[in-house]
Amino acid sequence: MGGKVTCTLGEVKNRADFIIYWGGNPAECHPRHFTKYTLTQKGKFVPLGRKGRTMITIDIRETPSARAADIALIIKPGKDFELATTIRALMKGQPVDEARVADIGLPLATIQDLVERMKRAKFGVIFFGMGVSMTRGKHMNSAGLLNIAAEMNAFTKFVCMPMRGHGNVTGADVVLRWTTGYPFGVSLSRGYPRFNPGEFSTIDLLVRGDTDATLVLGADPGATMPQPAIDHLTRTPTIVLDPKVTHTSRIARVHVTTAVTGVSAPGTAYRMDEIPMTLRPGLKSPYPTDEQVINLLLAAVAKKPAWRPAAPEELRGASLVRLASRT
Amino acid sequence: MVRITGGSVYDPANGINGAVKDICIDDAGRVVAALNGSEVRTIDATGMLVFPGGVDVHTHVAGGALNFARGLVPENQRIARKFLHTPELRAGIGGLTPTTFATGYLYAGMGWTTVNEAAVPILSAKHTHEELHDIPIVDKSTLLLMANNELMLDLLEAGEFERAKSLVGWMIQSAKTFGIKAVNPGGVAAWKWGKNANQLHKPIEGYAKITAGQIVTQLARIVDELGLPHPMHLHQNNLGVPGNVASTIETMNLLQGHRAHLAHLQFHAYGGHDWGSMKSEAPAVAAAFLAHKNLTCDVGAVLFGDAVTITADGPWQHLLYELTGRKWGNLDVENETGCGIVPYVYSDHKLVNAVQWAVGLELLLLIDDPWRVYLTTDHPNGGGFWRYPEIIRLLMDAEFRKAEVRKLPPEAQKRITLAELDRQYTLSDVAIVTSAGPARALGLAQKGHLGVGADGDVTIYSGKPDADGVMLSYPRYVLKAGTVVVEEGEIRALTEGREFIVQPAFDPGIEAFIRPNFEKVYTMSFENYPTEMSRIRHPQIVPCSR
Repeated sequence: MGGKVTCTLGEVKNRADFIIYWGGNPAECHPRHFTKYTLTQKGKFVPLGRKGRTMITIDIRETPSARAADIALIIKPGKDFELATTIRALMKGQPVDEARVADIGLPLATIQDLVERMKRAKFGVIFFGMGVSMTRGKHMNSAGLLNIAAEMNAFTKFVCMPMRGHGNVTGADVVLRWTTGYPFGVSLSRGYPRFNPGEFSTIDLLVRGDTDATLVLGADPGATMPQPAIDHLTRTPTIVLDPKVTHTSRIARVHVTTAVTGVSAPGTAYRMDEIPMTLRPGLKSPYPTDEQVINLLLAAVAKKPAWRPAAPEELRGASLVRLASRT
Repeated sequence: MVRITGGSVYDPANGINGAVKDICIDDAGRVVAALNGSEVRTIDATGMLVFPGGVDVHTHVAGGALNFARGLVPENQRIARKFLHTPELRAGIGGLTPTTFATGYLYAGMGWTTVNEAAVPILSAKHTHEELHDIPIVDKSTLLLMANNELMLDLLEAGEFERAKSLVGWMIQSAKTFGIKAVNPGGVAAWKWGKNANQLHKPIEGYAKITAGQIVTQLARIVDELGLPHPMHLHQNNLGVPGNVASTIETMNLLQGHRAHLAHLQFHAYGGHDWGSMKSEAPAVAAAFLAHKNLTCDVGAVLFGDAVTITADGPWQHLLYELTGRKWGNLDVENETGCGIVPYVYSDHKLVNAVQWAVGLELLLLIDDPWRVYLTTDHPNGGGFWRYPEIIRLLMDAEFRKAEVRKLPPEAQKRITLAELDRQYTLSDVAIVTSAGPARALGLAQKGHLGVGADGDVTIYSGKPDADGVMLSYPRYVLKAGTVVVEEGEIRALTEGREFIVQPAFDPGIEAFIRPNFEKVYTMSFENYPTEMSRIRHPQIVPCSR
């Protein structure tokens, strides 16, 4: 149970003959996705390109992406988990009572047909968007979809990938994992990394008023977060590094205008499949890069007297000779 | 400048076996015959044991696969050893998938100063090098995953050996790695269609001619002809499968005439025909291995307790997922390789795990040429690298080992021969399997010994048994390039290690061949594919022999 069965985007380009977009609208949100990676590309083992692939969308409305699909399935809002669970049951040949799944909004025969098509695929992929991960059910929905892909491998090759966006959010996730062991929601307040989404994730910290200052880098929480979180950003000192004026910069104490990474500043961005790409700026900028500003901040902080958290007793002077313990 | 005086030196590469001898290290971090001047720190090692710093020939400490695993098992991080942020040290978390900083602390804290990251895809090599930056203290090298690279397989299928060789040379230079790794040759490519390659002499999935056995031999020949310092590093087909002894020995026969390093041999030395009948075939594998002087191996021992299995061997990981019903991570890398992750517990009351535990030790004891068998756990596949001292104890103390064997399930004891083995490792044997041997296999002339010109990487043990009666547990001092990095069991200095890379010669015309083929099947610009030299922190180019 659980986990993530996935691939890099080139595998989809070269092999996928069956593509499901679920709770996402790449035609508008990832406009190059169809043409660069998935649908229209001619792949090594999909020489016909679009004609060699079946595309399914699953959503609560007919999005522009749905109009590009061979089959567009419209389900009732908030029924993603129910659909995922029904697919898993049918996949394994378990009995499903039609009356009990009626509120998904699809006839059982349609779901059964979808499962049969999935099993007939040579290489299937599910891309899912925020319509799955950020609606009622949240991570349970994501887990349901990820489990479909994992369990389909008993029948044929199947993978699953979240449609991540917002610039280099994947890169932040990747770097946090190697530096702290966790992808997000990390607290260093005890002097070592701790992880608890719902406790240490940004919105929770802000809404509870746990923070006394905020550094915002490449994000605009003032545009997307709940009002109590925005209120706290307004109340406490907020520093924004951003090339442009944003909702957040308007409420910030300090806004440092920075060069645009990828356009006028170099760097590395990770694609949604965690492949690193070197960004080579085509333009020069009069503004400093994010990295330069952060390094100036770090140098200034380093001049302050060292602050050391009060360590829990068992960690004080964490001695290497005690590493012999099994963890 | 440092002078270590009064210690018993174990430097098997230079024939020194416990003699009391000074070791002097100059400001360049190299071992010298003598030091002049007053700025010399003297470490009084009287009564202590002086070893060359440990060398891990096969470990997984950085890159996309390990980082995937970190995200998959936050529950492991939660219970793992924590490292507090201090003015000198970055915070970190130990455990089975340690953070980068903690990885450096843990290796250095154990007395290991060089590590070989054994699995790098070209496509994400930039990521691997970024993480290696952030592993402090130790020196690093990397191996490039090639045995399922479809550009190369297509060339081998077409019989274009010379072109394949140039392509491999180009790939190494592009990814800035040190050597070549082959994982389940043909099997990972087959996994892209949900299949595997479990026959050595059958064409692999998607190809009409080329077989797993041919990939093994041709890649070994390519590595030899490119003159790479480290031979082809091979994770064979049929890893972990009962009865795989047959294909293991057949692979050894195929490699006649080539150099090769057989990775984690423990996972390839099983008899029986299913999980119920699985048994140790370590004696047969050890005998065959000893007869093939062209080969080296690391053992990939398993220890009871938690592990995280991470390998490019995608099909095996799917099987392990189906066996365990636990989490499964899979990441197929376009046109190149794959990756699978399954958390695992080796249980001392399970027959299969008990046999695996014994097979690792049997190989270490039965292969009585320590220069050719090296200590690894295939970290974190068989257990965390920081548990190496537990294995050393089992090797050095036959009574302790036999007592441990008697704790195994009776049925497991019938499937192994470990109880009959009386060999005990000497201190010199330990120095060979943990340092001198792997350094020689990697082709790193300045590692694994303490002669003049060697790197000043030194591990000093107290020479007294610890509370459990263990002679070599955790060291009293560790020096890296002459800097005392560990003292009194604590990290004292955060140095930056080097990265070893090679730049083999190849026909430059190959780029014109690769570019159009690359553009057909990849999803980035050709120019974005290679890793820039500026991403390698402290590179040291090791010469190829041709």
